Amino acid sequence: MMIKQRLLISALFAAVASSASAADDSLRDGTIGYVMTNLFWSVYQTPDGQQECPRGFNDGPREQFEKLFPNPEDMTVEQTQLRQEIETWHPTTEPDGFEFLAVEGDLSWGLNLDGTDSPNDFTHPDGTAGIDNEVYRAVGCIIGFRGPDGVEVIFQDKAIADETYNRMMIEITGVDNLENDDEVTINLYRGMDRLLTDATGLNVMSGGTQRVDYRWGKDLMRKMQGKIVDSTLITEPIADMVMPWMNLGVPSVHIFRDMRLQLDLTSDGATGLIAGYADIDKWYYQLIRNDSTHHLSNGQISGISLYKALRKFADAYPDPETGENTAISTALDVTMTQVFITHSTANEGRASSSGER
Amino acid sequence: MLNSTLKNAVNFSGALAIFASAWSPLSIAADSQGAVNTLIERHRDVLMPAEFHVEATLLDGPVFANENGKTLYSWPQHRGRNGYSGEGPGSPECYDEVVTVTAGLMSPYPPGIELPEPIGRPSCTDLWPPVLAATDAEPVDKWTLVDRKDGTKQWAYDEQPLYTSVRDSQPGDVFGGKTRRSGGDSPAYRKPVGPPSMHPPGFAVKSTSIGRLLTTAKNDSLYSFEQDSATEVACVAACLNTWQPVIAPALAKAQGEWSILERSPGVRQWVFRGKPLYTHKYDTESWSLLGSDKPGWDNVFTQRAPAYPDSFTVQATIAGEVLADSKGRTIYVYNCGEDSAHQLSCDHPDDTQVYRLAMCGGGSPEKCLKHWPYVEAAENEESINRIWRILSIDPMTGRLVNADYEGAMRVWSYRGKPVYLFGADKRPGDVNGGGIGEWRGQRNGLRAFWLRDDFMNGIL
Repeated sequence: MMIKQRLLISALFAAVASSASAADDSLRDGTIGYVMTNLFWSVYQTPDGQQECPRGFNDGPREQFEKLFPNPEDMTVEQTQLRQEIETWHPTTEPDGFEFLAVEGDLSWGLNLDGTDSPNDFTHPDGTAGIDNEVYRAVGCIIGFRGPDGVEVIFQDKAIADETYNRMMIEITGVDNLENDDEVTINLYRGMDRLLTDATGLNVMSGGTQRVDYRWGKDLMRKMQGKIVDSTLITEPIADMVMPWMNLGVPSVHIFRDMRLQLDLTSDGATGLIAGYADIDKWYYQLIRNDSTHHLSNGQISGISLYKALRKFADAYPDPETGENTAISTALDVTMTQVFITHSTANEGRASSSGER
Repeated sequence: MLNSTLKNAVNFSGALAIFASAWSPLSIAADSQGAVNTLIERHRDVLMPAEFHVEATLLDGPVFANENGKTLYSWPQHRGRNGYSGEGPGSPECYDEVVTVTAGLMSPYPPGIELPEPIGRPSCTDLWPPVLAATDAEPVDKWTLVDRKDGTKQWAYDEQPLYTSVRDSQPGDVFGGKTRRSGGDSPAYRKPVGPPSMHPPGFAVKSTSIGRLLTTAKNDSLYSFEQDSATEVACVAACLNTWQPVIAPALAKAQGEWSILERSPGVRQWVFRGKPLYTHKYDTESWSLLGSDKPGWDNVFTQRAPAYPDSFTVQATIAGEVLADSKGRTIYVYNCGEDSAHQLSCDHPDDTQVYRLAMCGGGSPEKCLKHWPYVEAAENEESINRIWRILSIDPMTGRLVNADYEGAMRVWSYRGKPVYLFGADKRPGDVNGGGIGEWRGQRNGLRAFWLRDDFMNGIL
């Protein structure tokens, strides 16, 4: 009995010491770094979509093709396949003949981006009103965007871990205390290295090292100001963030205007939201450039219908000439793991290294 | 050309066979510009029937050619999303038959839909004449004979039936296919066939947009240091923390362009063309160019890609470097292959233009010129080599025309096909057109002309 008590006390002491040591280790000279390890559109889901999608889910390209062309063998490639591809690659806001099933529920994850509570806004499950997340309204009833096994969720889960192109990080400096600090600075960088994982290769471990990409990633760097309140980092919005987003081999980006972070911090990681207004054209073409119509079909994602929905629900940044909104409010669930970020401009490289004649 | 090869005729199995061996390293210099293009890739001796020989090419290394110098191609089997196309070993599938409906190999689109321009469609052999053998021809080593269903004999190499391409006109042309990697969702491309590259065991050569990249057999890039020589190395001590000498086995011997340097007693390092070889310890991916960022260090190529036009520029992006026009606008290559049993191309000006016009302008040539403008050549520019040439194009049809054709545009082409800009690219470094089109730009769309990237093997 005595031995067991001693062991228990020793174990507790070791755990406390280890925890304190981890915090001390990861927060060095008032600086702590995190690397993104999961990132996807914030989609509030109830079982089978009963609340948000009471009329079911949208058709994808395969279903739409079958309804439009019940006897394709009597038709030509121009009348069928190319017609649909033209609609996909040269999208319009004209009706496509299919009813689009948008989210009908009142609840959504996200943030109040504009400081108002308007009739179109959602309510957060915690009761906070004025949540702006119109991307959710557009994609919430499309199977491919719903977790855990929607095709986009799966592709992005894999890509955020595997593709160095997507390796975005935050470095928080001026941190006196990871629980409360009324003024910290946050820098956004892209890392250059693979993630540190456990032996399975599936679980990302804290304590890895990432070199900042000064070679190709300079245009991705941003600086933000923020504060830490009860271990939650809250930042001021910045004009824009360029988020590299490659999930099937085509390097592309999203642009989030008025972007801000809300993250729960620990010494091992950070979880929370990235929110702002997504540029619609970047959003749409990122999707269809990486996903062929085949991949979209697997998630029942009709690019043709989705583009019209994105434009319909767009709620910010009107075009000065047409008055049509060019951006749409959004929130992304993000998980980050603590890393040590190293800065060396030695990797800036040589100009036009491949351009020799 | 036959007269530029070193051939030794030998009798083999009763047939006249020859060894084709290494090339003069300057034999294609006249076709390209700049010192980096004067060296070409050597190849191993191979036995072959007398009617064939080896041609040097500007992008694909040595290839086999027939007595007219036309490159030989095979059509290896390729898996689509819903089945296979191409040819299995010993099984010709390309005949003088016109296919008029889709194969349904690429979902979600079903088979049996009528293909564009059914009248006047080419047959498979209209574009890919089979390499027929004389009735008394005999197999030679890897060269065998396969039976076609009309009773004729067709040459095969490594059991793959051989063809020539109507797109090739001069010896060394490889406009019908390429050795560069094609993605899994690409059409079943025809591949030029050639002899193995001349290198010791443990090495490999990869075709890229910037040249034939020399690597280890495990695809690790090889580098050379400008301060090294064939007999002396400057990379010692701390330098070896970053660079790993490529060690030659104890029994390895020098041969041709390959020699061995004893960098310290008992430690033998491979040397290629007078430069000791290294791998870069911090390369994280295969076929990496990362080490070339270090001053004095370069990737090693058996031959560099030919020069691009002087007016072109190189632009940095967040993914690497792309080739761009004089104003810094990214240059794109259009790729198209039909979803048909014959997998015929649709990206050459002589092919149907229905697919391209649909994708670039919804069927409208005017919109195409706005969305995917051609890269126009300046009045004072001329074709610079066989890879980068100026074509006269009718912009309303996309077809080749004579230079004096009314409304003709002089446009730059790469490997015989026009290259494009993308209308939504607004500033240097924009690559918004990459992956535009069906199957990420692999089957009816655009791929950016990458010269360097550290992320997605865009140069392959």
